[in-house]
Formats: sequence, structure tokens, C-alpha cells
Amino acid sequence: MTSLILRVNGNDHALELEPHRSLLAVLREELGLTGTKEGCNAGDCGACTVLLDGAPVNACLILAVQAAGQEITTIEGVAEEGQLHPLQEAFIEYGAVQCGYCTPGMVLSSIALLRETPRPSRTEIQDALAGNLCRCTGYVQIVEAIQSVAEGRK
Amino acid sequence: MTHAKVIGHGVQRVDARGKVTGQTKFAGDMQLPGMHYGKIVFSPHPRARVLEIDCRAAAAMPGVRKVITARDLPGSNRYGYDVAHRPVLVPAGEETRYIGDAVAMIVAASAEIASRAAAAVVVQYELLEPLSSPRQAMAPGAYQVHAAAPGNRCCQREFVHGDVKLGFEAAEVVVEQTYFTPRQEQAFLETEAGMAYQDDAGVLHVISCLQDPYGVAEDIHIALAIPKSRIHVKGTPVGGGFGGKLNTTIQVHLAAMTCLAKVPVMLVLDREESFAFHAKRHPTEIRLKLGAGRDGIIHALEGEVLADAGPYSGRTPEVIGLTMSALIGPYRIPHVLTSSIGIYTNNLDSGAFRGFGAPQAAIARECLLDKLARTLAMDPLELRRKNFLRPGDKPASPMLGDSPVSLDLLTERIIEKLGPLPSAPKDSSKRIGRSICFDMPVFDVGAIPMLGKSGVGAAVEVYSDGGVTVYAGGTELGQGVTTVLAQMAAEEFGLPMERIRVEMSDNWTCPRAGRTSASRLTYGLGNAVLLATGRLRKTILARAAQMLEISAEDLVLEGAEIRPKGVPAKALSFAAVARTCSDRGDNLREEGWFRSAEDRYMYGHTFMAAAADVAVDVATGEIEILKLVNVLDMGKVLNPVMAYGQLYGGAIQALGYGLMENMVTVDSQAKTPSFAEYMIPSALDVPLEFVAEGVEMPYPTGPFGAKGIGEAALNCTTPTLLNAIADALGVEVNAVPIGQEHILAAIRKRELN
Repeated sequence: MTSLILRVNGNDHALELEPHRSLLAVLREELGLTGTKEGCNAGDCGACTVLLDGAPVNACLILAVQAAGQEITTIEGVAEEGQLHPLQEAFIEYGAVQCGYCTPGMVLSSIALLRETPRPSRTEIQDALAGNLCRCTGYVQIVEAIQSVAEGRK
Repeated sequence: MTHAKVIGHGVQRVDARGKVTGQTKFAGDMQLPGMHYGKIVFSPHPRARVLEIDCRAAAAMPGVRKVITARDLPGSNRYGYDVAHRPVLVPAGEETRYIGDAVAMIVAASAEIASRAAAAVVVQYELLEPLSSPRQAMAPGAYQVHAAAPGNRCCQREFVHGDVKLGFEAAEVVVEQTYFTPRQEQAFLETEAGMAYQDDAGVLHVISCLQDPYGVAEDIHIALAIPKSRIHVKGTPVGGGFGGKLNTTIQVHLAAMTCLAKVPVMLVLDREESFAFHAKRHPTEIRLKLGAGRDGIIHALEGEVLADAGPYSGRTPEVIGLTMSALIGPYRIPHVLTSSIGIYTNNLDSGAFRGFGAPQAAIARECLLDKLARTLAMDPLELRRKNFLRPGDKPASPMLGDSPVSLDLLTERIIEKLGPLPSAPKDSSKRIGRSICFDMPVFDVGAIPMLGKSGVGAAVEVYSDGGVTVYAGGTELGQGVTTVLAQMAAEEFGLPMERIRVEMSDNWTCPRAGRTSASRLTYGLGNAVLLATGRLRKTILARAAQMLEISAEDLVLEGAEIRPKGVPAKALSFAAVARTCSDRGDNLREEGWFRSAEDRYMYGHTFMAAAADVAVDVATGEIEILKLVNVLDMGKVLNPVMAYGQLYGGAIQALGYGLMENMVTVDSQAKTPSFAEYMIPSALDVPLEFVAEGVEMPYPTGPFGAKGIGEAALNCTTPTLLNAIADALGVEVNAVPIGQEHILAAIRKRELN
């Protein structure tokens, strides 16, 4: 067992963990943060996307112990005090949410994209989302939602 | 009725906020004190006799609460839609039928322990030769997958209209082709999951992602001999269904785990287990033949559908029956002979997937029409227009209803949206192709072939504070039914959306609503809700009339008030009237039970057009979709944002079906058991230009004139892409999916197969 502190959404959590446990499993099972989803546990689908020091990663491929000392952002940390992030509002307005299972990962990948590239082209948006599979929406309204925020319409 | 307040507007989804913030609890997100974790031991062999199951090592592991085999199960150990011949657990002495059959189950204190214990169960198998194709299963001497099904015949149907002999005799041109369509996986992002427990009265509660809480309760009852009144099934918001969660998935196993282990249990399938377990789109071999005059008028259609039913019956007879019917499409054909046959194999299971058999038919039909057009040296659109159903025509199949024919309107809209054909860059290896295809998607309006007529129930309650709850037994899969039903109630009562709560997918609180499939909820459940709101409106208006001393006919419900027409100042708030109703003992909870009329056909239908411009690089085989257009007659567009989401989503699934998806089995073993091997479209695959439009030809019996639309986009778009590629290269299409390697081979060989 390893003792460590994970900093998640600005809060420190002291944990005793077996070193083989993934960040995904620890977020969901130890911290009760079920917004991050398991879709494949193999790094193929992006449903488990979280931000590590602002960079999008598949939490299923990160050992929890590797994430110690970094800022972990999950979907629960996006809205601030009940106030939705502009991307969350845009997702709602543009119909980018259907079943909602890919949505947390999509939102976090979008946040990372816009921080890095505030005015992305359509191709840049598609590239940034390439690792987040969605089976419901066909991606069109997700791209529109992101474009609306990038173009300052939100 | 007053003008539309929320119907027809892109109002916000009622469940959107929970989903964008990660607050919504899906089936695998739940927790109960004392909850344990289940793991199923699946057979690694598609066909094997189970000789012995040794659970001793597994049972001895610390943290393992219970190891279960068939002999521990109460009840019949059999369940299944249509035919109850699926075992919960294959007992020693019996044979497995596919790699999704289970032989044992573990209940343990953690998911990790449960996995390790499952791996520690030692099963002795006698390996047997599986049937890996329908043709192999039909061969004389092939073993019988089911004792009651000689020749491994799951189902067989035929449809005759007119006399094809006469039709082909009169034809001057005959074209024929055999098409092969692959097994497509639903690939929902949320795998099968659920939590179950028994409460202090011993009543079973199953909380899981599913598409039919009533069907699940039925299967639990049959398999485990639990009385129906003691089975509560609650559907959670589903993280994608598409038909893959329509039949009971893990819920019977989960129920057995909790009843035998006497603790709450959480069961989640991992992706590989999910890919192996649930029923997928039927692989088919379709032989189709068309006979036409040189003027392009089609005289005869003959078709044979051979489908891989997999190990269990499930939805196969219904699905393949629809494939057979959908071969005709939106065309007037005087002579038709079609047949369908479903054959059991030991391959992965086949069942419902958006389109429900129609996508396979659309591929064969629309691709053969293009072949006929080429043979006649006729423009493919002109050929289709000559044969379109005309207003007043009844479609050939007796299964179909009475929708107004909107093909001319769709043609007009699609040509306008498509614009002129783009040209390839000079000196490039790219070839441009275009196709316009049509379809006649169906949706269930209340009667189901084989099962007879069904009613759809709903309940609506108005509270003394003026709030409303709608009880609707359908399931939210992401398609937006929760929001659409809230819109209907809000519209009828003149209330804002925030006052309406919708409780869905619960076999106890929601009147029997049937399954979430066949694009049936907006129509059937919507009509049931409107019957209930209609009764409540009467009650509320009568009470308000009394309070205002005005005739009820002179009152309208709007703006959260009951207003006298022309004297708005004398309005009463809806809440005040509800309060009075409650105080005076009025019944404020009504049910609606919708049944289609006695002489109604079994399916409603509508019309769809899809068009694509593609650029195919003959040097690399790469396919680029320059433009995709979908135009669907929706009857009434209840919520444009959500409706277009259905078109976009369905079209991209169709793109996957045509260009990249194939759930391959070899010797009945899954060869593509992960997202790394089974490719589904990503954001990179969205066409450069993608236009969707809903046109409205009101459907007289639909709620607000609406039709069912969830499946329509998928059927039509696949052949559109295939035909556009064929047009670009000047080659035939007869097998799907078509990827880069097929393009390059075709260029060498002049044929795509």
C-alpha cells in the first residue's frame, strides 16, 4: 500500500492505495466522483477523460500514484459554485448532449482545447475530440457548441 | 387549442444539466451500504459441453461471498423474448451455444476480488465443432442448436403480392445481385450494468440500464420463479441503447446474484464481455432481383433474405420479417415475392439494432436500383421518381399504414440542399461521385406482428401546488423522450417546462407502456399522455369554470393560468385551481390508455431522402465525404434541436455501418473485441458539410401530427454512401463495409466485394 495525496478539483485527499489501481478506479470508487466514466478501460474511447495539470488524459491509463502532485480536474470541478462553464451551457443549448455518457469527457477535452487554442478551426476541434467517442450525437452539435464558445457567442 | 407554446421549439432537454455536470447517476454509478460486486464466468468456447465446474478455489478466496452455478438457481433457468430458451447458467451436462453463455457467477466484496475469483473457477469442457455460418448450419447433418428447431430454422416467412412470374415475363430488363451485410455492434458507451437488492420485505429491486422494464420483469419471473408482484424493475438513464439493451441483458443474472447472496449486488460488464454478450445487427445475405421495362417502370421484385440468427431467437423473427418487407421500399411495384429465413448458429447473438432489419434491406434495394439505372442508362433519380409511391397509393405490404406520401416534397428539398455537383481538383487522383436514395422508415403504432395488438399506458398527476408529474414507462436512451413528453404536458396545461416532472421506466409506478424500440414512444406514449392530460384538462377547466362562473368553453390554459378568453384580467392561476380541485376531492390523477384502431395496420411509416457527394482517391483508396444531406418527413418537428440530433446520430452510425464497422467472428470466436479493433466513427469522420432537415406532413393520428423518427436516418444513409462511391469509381457494390483496402482492390478488379 502507498500513502499519497491526490489533489482533485482543488481539494486534497489523503489516500492509502495499492499501486496498481488506476486513477479512474480511485476517482470513482475511493472518492465517489462518478462523473468520470468507464467505457473501455483500455484508453480507446475517452469516456474517462480528466485533466492532469490542464492536459486531457485517459484516467484508465494513469496509475493513481502517478497523479500525485498534479492538479486533477474532473467534470465535477468544471462548474463553479453552481455556475455552469460556457462550454456546458453551449452543450445544452446546441443539443450536444443525448445519452450523456461521453459528455464529461467531451467537456473536459473541449476545455483543454480552448485553453490551448482559443479560436480553433473546425479541423482543430475534430482533432481535439478524436479520442472521445460518441455514439449518439454524430458529433455535429458538439462541434457547433464548441465553435459557439470559441467565436464568443457564449 | 391555443397556439404552440413549447411544441415545435428547441427547448432545453430536461436532463441536460445533470449530464453536463456529471451529476446524473448511470447504472454503474450507484452505491448501497453493504453492496457487493458480481462477475459472470462466461464460456470461452462457442460450442462445448460443460463437463464439470469446480468452484472450490474460487469459493475459498477471502472476500468471496457466493459462487453460483445452475444447480443453485430456483425456477426454470430459462428465459428469453419470443422463445424462453436462453439458460441463465449452462448446467453441467449441457452445451454452450456461444461465447456469451454463462456457466457460473461470483458475488464478492470488491470488483477486483470478484474478477480474480471468476478466473479461479475451473471448468472442464468437451470442445465441439461450432456452426459458424448460416449455410453451415443449414447443411444436412449439421447439429441442432435447439432441439425444437430442426434444420436450425429460427423463422421463415414469405410475402406475395401479385405474380412475379408475370412481372418478370413482362420485363425487358432484369438485374440481379447478392449483397452481404456485416454484423454491426451497437457500441453504446455505457456497457451493461445494474444494481439489485432485496428490501426488508424480501421484494426484489433491480435498477439497471435497459429498454423494457416490463420485459425484464417477465424474464426474471420466468427464470427465477419470483412472483411478479415482488419484482420491481427501474430503468436508469441509459448511456446508449440502440436496441442492444432491448432484450434482457444482465438483469436476470443480477437478480439471481442478489437473491442467492442476500446482499445488494452491482454488476457491470467490461467492454470485451459486452461485445461478446448482447445481440447485434443480423449479418445477412440478400439476393435481390428487379425486372423493369426499358422505360424504367419496375414490374417485379424478388428477394431472399438469409440471416444469421445467432444462438437464440430473441427478436430475429420480427427483425428479419421487417428486412423482407423493407425490400420494397417507397416504390410502387405490382408483383413482389420476398422471403426471409433466420438460421441459428454459434456465432455472436443477433437482435435489435436501430433500423431493426430495414438497413440491410435498404442497402440491397437502393444499390440494385442504381445497378438497374446503369443498365438502362438512366439517371438513378429519374428511375426512382418513375416508381415512387404516389399520393393515395397504399404500400404493397399489408403491414403498413396510411401516411401521406411526401416523396415529391423530399425530392425537391434534397435537390435544393445538395446543389451542383462539385468537381475534382485538376490533375488529382480524386474522383467525385453522387447518390440520392430514398427509404420508407417504419415505426410501431400499437400493434406488433406476431404479438397482436398492444396498448400503451401513461399516467399524469396534478398536485395541489400546481406541479405535474407524468408517469411514462418508456426509457430515456438519450433520444429525448423525457423532454418530448414534458413538452406535451407543458403545452396541454399551459405550464412552463420547469413545472413538469417526468418519471420514466418503472414497472411499478408507470402504467404498462411496452418497450422502448421501433421509434414508438413519441407516437404511442405521447398519445397516451395526451389522453391523460385531456381528462385532467376537463377536470381543471370544469372547476375553474365553476370558480369564475363562466362556461368552460370560454377558458384557455396558458401562461400557468386559466384565462377567460378576452378577459385575461379575470384569470386564475393554475396552482390556485389545482388547489381548489384538491380541496374539493376532484381526481387529479388520470391514466391514458392508447390503442391503435381495430383496423389499423401494424406500422406507421414515413419517407426519407438521403444524398451524398463523395471524393474517392484512386491512388490511396481514401474516401472523403464532401457533403451529406438527410431530409426526413417527421410529421411534426416537436423539438428541432433534438430531432436533428437524431438525424445526425443515425447518419453517422450509418456511415460506420457502410465504411468501417464489422464485428468479425472466425470459428464463432470474436476477433474484434475492443474499440481498437472494432472501429466506430470519431469526430474525424464527420462529413465536411452535413445538412439535416425535417419536413412536416402532419400525421393525422400522431400527437400534434408527429411520427416516430429515431431509426429513420440510419436506414437510408448507408446505401447513399455506397452508391456515391460506386458512382465515383464506376464499379458495383455488393458487400459492406467498404474501406480503403476494398477501394484499392476494386480499382484493380473493377468490382467492390
